[in-house]
Amino acid sequence: MDFDFTQFSSVLPLTALTVAGCVLLLLEAFGSGRQRAYLMPLTLASLGVALVLELLSWGDATLGYTTFHGLLALDRFSIVFNCIFLIGAALTVMLSPAFMREHHFEFGEFYSLVLFATVGMMILAQATDLVTIFLGIETMSIAVYVLTGSFRHSPKSAEGAMKYFMVGAFATSILLYGMALIYGAVGSTALAEIARQAPHVSQAPLFIVGFLLLLVALGFKISAVPFHMWAPDAYEGAPTPVTAFMATTVKAAAFATLIRLVSTAFSRTELAYGSSGWASILSWLAVLTMTIGNLGALRQDNVKRMLAYSSIAHAGYLLVGVVAIAVVGVEARGPLVYYLVAYTFTTAGAFGVVAWIGSRGDERLMIDDWAGLGSRHPGVALAMTIFMLSLGGIPPTAGFFGKFYVFRAALEKPTLIWLVVIAVLNSVVSVFYYLRVVTAMYFREVGREAKPLRATSVSAALLIAAVGVLLIGILPTWLVDVANAAGFAQ
Amino acid sequence: MLLTLTTFIPLFGALLCLLLPKEEEGLLKGFAFTISLITFATSLFMLGDFDPTRWNHVVDKEWVAAFGIHFKLGVDGISLWLVLLTTFLVPIVLCASWSSINKKMREFVVTMLILETGMIGTFLATDLFVFYVFWEVMLIPMYFIIGIWGGDRKLYAAIKFVLYTMVGSLLMIVAIIYLYIRNHDATGLWSFDYDTLLKVVLSPKEQLLCFGAFALAFCIKVPLFPFHTWLPDAHVEAPTAGSVILASVLLKFGTYGLLRYAIPFFPDAFVRCAPLLNTLAVIGIIYGSLVAFAQKDVKKLIAYSSVAHLGFVVLGLGMWNVKAVDGAMIVNLAHGISTGGLFLCIGVIYERRHTRKLEEFGGLATIMPRYFGVFMVMTLASVGLPGTSGFVGEFLTLVGSFDAYKHWGQLCILFPHPKALTGVATLGVILSAVYMLFLFQKMMFGPLSNPRNRSLRDLSARECAYFAPMIVMALWIGIYPNTFLSDIDPAVQKTVTEMTTKRQVMVADGELPKIVGAPAPAPSPSLEPARQQEMPPLPPSHPELH
Repeated sequence: MDFDFTQFSSVLPLTALTVAGCVLLLLEAFGSGRQRAYLMPLTLASLGVALVLELLSWGDATLGYTTFHGLLALDRFSIVFNCIFLIGAALTVMLSPAFMREHHFEFGEFYSLVLFATVGMMILAQATDLVTIFLGIETMSIAVYVLTGSFRHSPKSAEGAMKYFMVGAFATSILLYGMALIYGAVGSTALAEIARQAPHVSQAPLFIVGFLLLLVALGFKISAVPFHMWAPDAYEGAPTPVTAFMATTVKAAAFATLIRLVSTAFSRTELAYGSSGWASILSWLAVLTMTIGNLGALRQDNVKRMLAYSSIAHAGYLLVGVVAIAVVGVEARGPLVYYLVAYTFTTAGAFGVVAWIGSRGDERLMIDDWAGLGSRHPGVALAMTIFMLSLGGIPPTAGFFGKFYVFRAALEKPTLIWLVVIAVLNSVVSVFYYLRVVTAMYFREVGREAKPLRATSVSAALLIAAVGVLLIGILPTWLVDVANAAGFAQ
Repeated sequence: MLLTLTTFIPLFGALLCLLLPKEEEGLLKGFAFTISLITFATSLFMLGDFDPTRWNHVVDKEWVAAFGIHFKLGVDGISLWLVLLTTFLVPIVLCASWSSINKKMREFVVTMLILETGMIGTFLATDLFVFYVFWEVMLIPMYFIIGIWGGDRKLYAAIKFVLYTMVGSLLMIVAIIYLYIRNHDATGLWSFDYDTLLKVVLSPKEQLLCFGAFALAFCIKVPLFPFHTWLPDAHVEAPTAGSVILASVLLKFGTYGLLRYAIPFFPDAFVRCAPLLNTLAVIGIIYGSLVAFAQKDVKKLIAYSSVAHLGFVVLGLGMWNVKAVDGAMIVNLAHGISTGGLFLCIGVIYERRHTRKLEEFGGLATIMPRYFGVFMVMTLASVGLPGTSGFVGEFLTLVGSFDAYKHWGQLCILFPHPKALTGVATLGVILSAVYMLFLFQKMMFGPLSNPRNRSLRDLSARECAYFAPMIVMALWIGIYPNTFLSDIDPAVQKTVTEMTTKRQVMVADGELPKIVGAPAPAPSPSLEPARQQEMPPLPPSHPELH
């Protein structure tokens, strides 16, 4: 048992963010009211430092290695995911101060909580042991529960947080139970060891039940139907920047875990196929998630709630990509990485516009409030149009290329054609409600005068997201190469 | 380089328009008009050094290396005149919108120019991915044109247009990806290149499914009966510029797509489906004509006449002999000119009277003599009077279809005999004379009974200026179609021959695709066992864990 300090290099970004979170907490407690303005830039700076540290380790991670006795891995897969979390968190943080000021809930711990949640996600992306997975999920979730409820005057926020917390706690207990059963069957919590033992225990009831419980728990976290009930309420109730955070990074983190589990510990063919195989289960979950998510979104007049349902539907498209891992192999992780990057920019941007449109305690979430935005605020309306087209998968946006990439992987073997056909038909349905927003903004006469948030950081966040969506949609090559590198992670 | 310029000058112009102040409407209109003229002038250079049977002025740039996606453009005899039709019409349409668009001028010219880029790109693309991207890109500007500058039911019409098109095109992308993957299975190469994928022969079952997906996308766009219901709504609600572009260019993508992609890619499936396509086409001709006759709204009448005219095009393609296909391509061009011209005529009268009800008009010939002349030429061109554009194409199509008998020996009993179909389609020509002359008579002749029509102005100089080239083209196609046929015919002959060659390659169900022209025992046998396996078992411990 030699303890090597050099292994801390693999968790340097994690450590940096944790320290930054603690410092911010102290600053909030002991700093005076006026000085709080620098909390946001400081948070951004620490996220930036972590991002740079991640990028610096890209070269070392060519082969991928584990540290801390196999508890954490450092590979390109985790680096790309960590970058997604950091970008999502940065966009959230940029949206926050103006939103909090306008809706009267100055809340200094906000930034530390965002950082702690991000640390949890990074642990998740790097976790190669059931114990670290649990640690990551809890670190992330608890911070996000608090963030959801941080909009203290709003009963909806409290309701959303309560639901999210109850369901989340329930999911965690299921997760733990599943882990315990798997440990009972295999005798180890290390993913590598589980993968090694899988051929011997794949028929053992203990193992199968444990594995199914794990899937259910992750189903809650990615808000797959039928485990999605909490999502619309929690997303609608949370302060909009937090919703952006939840819909992008929290979902990406849960997917990172799911992808790592199915491509390592449960990658054996006999675990993927058959009636209790994860590929079969997830393909049905994908169908349900896409369809019910889209049908739910069709009926919404509240844009924020519509986007919440849309993010459920997108979990369904992502699940199609996860199922493709069973058919194609680990290289099918590339499309998922790409899709999540595209989705993070797009969704963060869309919720950013939702946050932007309301002010002074008036959130203006109904679609009628968006009427005529195209003539009053052409820039933001254009950005929102780009986000809506990207979510609907219309070229030349990132969302189109992401869908193309995922469907391409799924079609590589003919077995999944039916799933892809259902996915594209769902896309048609989704175009209808995404275009409703565009229709309201451009085709209808000006309704209530909009009094949007006026803050440089919000505009900057929207600009970054819109440019990102177009850039990785029109010139996808570099991101495809990065995603492929992350997918293979040899 | 020439094709890249032609495609992107409008887009570049659109970006520049965004920089201009939005109050300066005259400047914006003039600028956009100039850009579209420059685009037209550039596109004329395609005619130089042109060989209709191969790709000319090829552009080939790597786009996404990992997937074998290339930014590839090229033009041959089939696409040449359609591209020129597009670049020819956009300046006319912009000129026609000079006074009819009275809000958001900057947005209007920007969307028109982006739409032009989308349309040109779709015709020129020779890489299926690029084709699909342009195909979808032109959808959104059209949605805005209908939705912002449209009539009373614009919201409904715009969303219906988008959803109908999306259903087809999303299934088409699945088929495109499938074909791309099957090509990789057979050759080991990733490519969306048109010529590469053209050589892939799929098994009959796969062909049927893929052809279904492609044909659905294109038949919705055409629109073939029974997928036509979006068209009258979109046409009626769209502003004049939108209707003209929609009728003259966007509908052509359906027929162009069938000829370029669906039919040559999946010849066996096409042969099996052709009787169905032909029958639907003829139903469309008769149904479109009858419904057109019953309309009270002039614009709706023209919209339904489009359904009938496009029926001839699909009939010609479905019969698949050189004459019929040549005819279909000429109908494509002729319809672009005549129906585009008719929509412009309706735009003129709508701008003056703000109504399109047939009963409101009558006796216009006496007070608008110039308008009368223009309307007459366009009506006769649409009816197909010999010497005008409509005649040549429909005549060739019908002659070709009548001859098609010997190629279609064993038809499914369910579907009528090609000679019978041709006979019924010929009735459509008569019907078109009925409804068009009825329209013409109602509007132009008779007493000038409605007092509100007394003060109508005749065509202004600007209006004459944009109608003049349309009339020239309508007569040119009718009098000397050889200008167009000399490019179209060799390309069509090549496509028809290639398909015959391709049909000789047989692939059984469940077999790997074969490549046309590849050495006899096609792909190396060593590839096959590896590909038959469902999934290679992963190593017990994944390397990334160590």
